[in-house]
Amino acid sequence: MISWLYLGVAVLFEISVAFSAGNAQGFTRLWWTVATLVSGAIATFFLSLALLEFDVGVGYSIWTSVAGVGIVILGAIFFQERLNLRKLSGIAMVIGGVIGLRLSGAA
Amino acid sequence: MTNTSTPQANNGRAWLALLLAGAFEIVYALSVAGSEAFTVLSWSISAIVFFLLTLYALSVALKTIDVGIGYAVWAGIGAVGSAIFGSVLFEQPLTLTQAFWLAVIIAGVIWLKLASSAKLQADESGLVAS
Repeated sequence: MISWLYLGVAVLFEISVAFSAGNAQGFTRLWWTVATLVSGAIATFFLSLALLEFDVGVGYSIWTSVAGVGIVILGAIFFQERLNLRKLSGIAMVIGGVIGLRLSGAA
Repeated sequence: MTNTSTPQANNGRAWLALLLAGAFEIVYALSVAGSEAFTVLSWSISAIVFFLLTLYALSVALKTIDVGIGYAVWAGIGAVGSAIFGSVLFEQPLTLTQAFWLAVIIAGVIWLKLASSAKLQADESGLVAS
């Protein structure tokens, strides 16, 4: 049960990585750059804790897919990134493919 | 957002940075695996170096590319690459099912590249003030 909590924390920090990396503008803004690296380290740490319990295929696919969906939703709400069927279908293909790949036992 | 040079040129560079970030992500993932929970020094150093490189390149790419698209492509390339190179390194041939999912990811990445270009062209012609 605690491993779901670890995974949830890892997802939150992974979402933070994506938005911080976007705002860091190629590491030219100091504090966003610090936020990117610190979030990345924390996300990796909690993922590794979660993967003590979860199989790597299952844990990794939940992590990537929940973070990916969260990023799309938050990007649309807070950054006015316009969504359309083409973008959503492409993102769904990639995330679905990652889930399928991980569940079929690769990596 | 505040780019003044042509959107098409920026878009090309941003996608190049994103592909590079994906490549760094592959090396990072394989290094983390090889480090055996950071107990093997050489692989651990490689993991940390490529952790920095992949996030730097991602950050450059996200100057231009929407974060939702950029993240999906980055994670997708990382997944495809670590599956292929992982199977080579650990001598586990890919199954047909895995090859199918790899193809889905690659098709999705290409589809997103096309969707992203169309968006920039629309912005350029419409000069939306939002």
